[in-house]
Amino acid sequence: MTLSIMLAPLSWLKDYVDITLSPKQLGERLTEVGLATEKITKVDSDIIFEFEITPNRPDLLSILGIAREIAAIQNKKINLKSYEIKIPKKTTLPIKLNPNHKLFHRWTGISIENISIKPSPQWMQNRLIKIGLRPISNIIDITNYVMFELGVPLHAFDYDEIKGRQMTVEQAIGGEKFTSVDQKSYHLPKDAIIIKDSERIIDLAGIKGGLNSGISDDTKNVFLHVTIDDPILIRRASIALSLRSDASAIYERGTDKGGTLKTLARATQLVLEMAGGRVASEVYDLKKEAFKPWKLNLRLSRLKQILGITIPEKKVTGILNSLNLSPVILSKRSASKDPMRSFANAQDDIIECTIPTYRNDIKIDEDLIEEVARLYGYNNFPKTIPLGQIPTKQIPYFKDYRLEEKAKNILKSSGFSESYTYSLISEKDLVEAGWKTENVLRVDNPVSREFEYLRPTLKINLLKAYLQNKPNFKDINIFELGKVYLGKNIDEAKEVYFLSGITNTKNFFEVKGILERLFEELGSKEGPTEFIEILNEGIIFEINYSEIIKKVNLQKKFISLPKYPPIIEDLAIVASGKVNTKELMDEIKKQSSIITDVSLLDQFEETRTFHIMYQHKDRNLTTEEVAKIRSKILKVLKEKFNAMPK
Amino acid sequence: MEEELIQIKNSAVSLILEAEGLKTLEHLRLQFLGRSGRLTLEIKDIAKLPIEKRPEVGRLANEVKKAIEDTIANQELRIRQLTDQESGIKKQKIDVTAPGIRPNIGHLHPMTQVLYEVIDIFKLLGFQVADGPEIEADYYNFEALNIPKYHPARDVQQTLYLDTRKSKVAPGETILRTQTSNMQIRVMEKSTPPLRIIVPGKVFRYEQTDASHGFEFWQFEGLMVDTNITFTDLQGVLDYFVKKFFGEETRIKFTSHNFPFTEPSLEGYISCTVCKGKGCRFCKFSGWVEALGGGMIHPKVLENVKIDSFKYQGFAFGTGLSRLVTLRYQMDDLRLLTNPDLRILTQF
Repeated sequence: MTLSIMLAPLSWLKDYVDITLSPKQLGERLTEVGLATEKITKVDSDIIFEFEITPNRPDLLSILGIAREIAAIQNKKINLKSYEIKIPKKTTLPIKLNPNHKLFHRWTGISIENISIKPSPQWMQNRLIKIGLRPISNIIDITNYVMFELGVPLHAFDYDEIKGRQMTVEQAIGGEKFTSVDQKSYHLPKDAIIIKDSERIIDLAGIKGGLNSGISDDTKNVFLHVTIDDPILIRRASIALSLRSDASAIYERGTDKGGTLKTLARATQLVLEMAGGRVASEVYDLKKEAFKPWKLNLRLSRLKQILGITIPEKKVTGILNSLNLSPVILSKRSASKDPMRSFANAQDDIIECTIPTYRNDIKIDEDLIEEVARLYGYNNFPKTIPLGQIPTKQIPYFKDYRLEEKAKNILKSSGFSESYTYSLISEKDLVEAGWKTENVLRVDNPVSREFEYLRPTLKINLLKAYLQNKPNFKDINIFELGKVYLGKNIDEAKEVYFLSGITNTKNFFEVKGILERLFEELGSKEGPTEFIEILNEGIIFEINYSEIIKKVNLQKKFISLPKYPPIIEDLAIVASGKVNTKELMDEIKKQSSIITDVSLLDQFEETRTFHIMYQHKDRNLTTEEVAKIRSKILKVLKEKFNAMPK
Repeated sequence: MEEELIQIKNSAVSLILEAEGLKTLEHLRLQFLGRSGRLTLEIKDIAKLPIEKRPEVGRLANEVKKAIEDTIANQELRIRQLTDQESGIKKQKIDVTAPGIRPNIGHLHPMTQVLYEVIDIFKLLGFQVADGPEIEADYYNFEALNIPKYHPARDVQQTLYLDTRKSKVAPGETILRTQTSNMQIRVMEKSTPPLRIIVPGKVFRYEQTDASHGFEFWQFEGLMVDTNITFTDLQGVLDYFVKKFFGEETRIKFTSHNFPFTEPSLEGYISCTVCKGKGCRFCKFSGWVEALGGGMIHPKVLENVKIDSFKYQGFAFGTGLSRLVTLRYQMDDLRLLTNPDLRILTQF
């Protein structure tokens, strides 16, 4: 369901191009030019290549398309066979086609009468098997064979089952029932392209044929058609039905609009050859426009400007020729006369190319430049370091990773190891952690129930990480700095970085101290107490990192060393345990501007000893001065907290 | 008098620091601080000074006294430690081959270590780091990058859609970003060239997990826009990066590829980090491992952000940051990176 794979047998490719490279060399060279060769396997006396086809190249979902690439890299010509349909004077099986060019950009078809259904010849069966298909019967095999050979899907109807001898292309209303050739029933999605005869739906266009009009063992007359279906409508319908077919993969990419007649002729030739019968109608070809090859100019100056090297004109035209892009050198003008391009360059020839209809990926100059570059060989380019000025302005969405590094390093040096866990978590985990799912952002199409909600916290994953590690480790210290997703719905959605940690070796004050140090390092004035939660077995914390760094202040200023010595004293205070240490410390500090530091030295029962530093920046202190402040402190502590000196 | 005090201090300190035994030390203490010690006598003389000079000299004398006391205390400690050690060595031999006692230091995740290294490399080339939303509008993740709705290129990046019930947003328009390229658009539409940015970040895909795929993984991409940035510059910058990151001997080769937002586009392979290109199981015996993708920014993308595609051009490239980590440490499973098992985390 992700990328398109194309299998190509070497023997089949050789119908179209002489191959002189060894399979291994061929695979490497094709990979280099963009046709990624995933596997090369030997099957009987043949070699099967497995290619990964990029979404821009519908033509490479065919043997002919791959042969063209091989021809280009070997600089050889393609052996193209042409087939002609001889139209009889008398048309016995006419059909009325009611087109809609928005749905079918082109609709080409023919009736063939009096065929006989039987197995297709062995050589064709072998080739189909080699590309991973199951042979069914001659007519069906031919439609598959030609689609893979030429890259344009086609379909065969049992002519006698087309009621009213008419076909109308239209869009499904939605909900119609449809049974496909492989006997599966579907309810059609709205806007799917369908074909109706006078009575019923007979085809889910571009995706699957209908059972009611399909080829059976009794089919005598067939209507073969090649359509160019609208890529978007095909893709929408096939996504809605979860139904991809080989045809829909080609249609989605945009099919060769100029290739329908060739495809029909090739199929007709094979039908007449393998199933007998006779052409029984004119060739219908309903189209909005001619779908001719288009012209596109390549400027050599632009080529040089984009690629950074000068490729000789002869080499450029050689490459374009090998890709069948019919280069013609148009003019030699001076770049300065060209107002559109500012780059002054002597090499400014314009090469006019004619783009074949099967290369609908080539639309602008740059597409042609890529064609030249890839065949020139990406590994033949010199590697240069860009010139020019280094941008000096700070970009929008700038993130200063040095801050993050600082924060992470503090946790690391405090003993925590870092984890990265999933953003998506399960309903079960959320509910167990006490969250209501309606308050959490949810993914509509989760890969599984395990990963359905966007985490509103890192704690859930950290707790799980803790439990996961418990059997193997006695000491567990883990942190994560990652995004959480807040808001009840998308309108309120907010992505925020949280920093969270879990530990079973550190106590509350150790964790608090680590966070205090972290906040200090980031220049935040915040206190960490409210972010810490004590668990049965340890401590977990979570801070809103985005919020902290919003107020980050990394400016530091040197304060000159004091010239006069401090007086330091320890003050033991007896106070009720109800009085917070922080309150006492703040109160002490407030009493004089010459108290430069207060810290808690010791605590025993109701006695707390504070370490107080008195220092004046301009002069020496006297013991009398300090004594005054001390008595002021004691007085205030007694008044406010009923605290006494010990 | 002040000079004498300082002299006393200097001579006391130097004598004390030279003392090798506790006895000598005690002797020195008496000599300076004893009842008739040099300092004690000097302090007695302060009373003879004029009254206005006394406080200042007094303070100095106190300082000197404290300095001598501190020096003696320190020296005593040193002498004791030294003799303890000597007698210790004599008493019991220590086995110096036993492991040291390590401080308890944690580990940064390998992704973090690789990310910071990558950022450092690109900083040298003048790149700045951008960081942006993971919950994203379809427009920034796809449409502005030349991937319209129903484009087959969307197959490569199967998308997780957000539940839009209870909100004013139309369903299907808000997604978890599938690539960090959304930031190309967001940064470019708000600034003007020259630009050199890198974007690391988490991306999400609707994908079943296995050893090399995940529904959540980390990408990292770069963008350079100016008047003269060329395809050879893209190759040069990528070559510079892989050599700096994986080592000077690393070789890089390119193949053509298709991304809707670059033209021409390339894929970069580096010589296998395990076998150095000889061929091994890690590189499926090819000698090369796929490492990055990139190309020249598609003119349509530049037009979408209102940058004149005639005047300016540039390149963009990206890689799995998770992939760089697994390549660097030769890890065989992406899921190891989101597993918080300390047996994994403490290896880095």
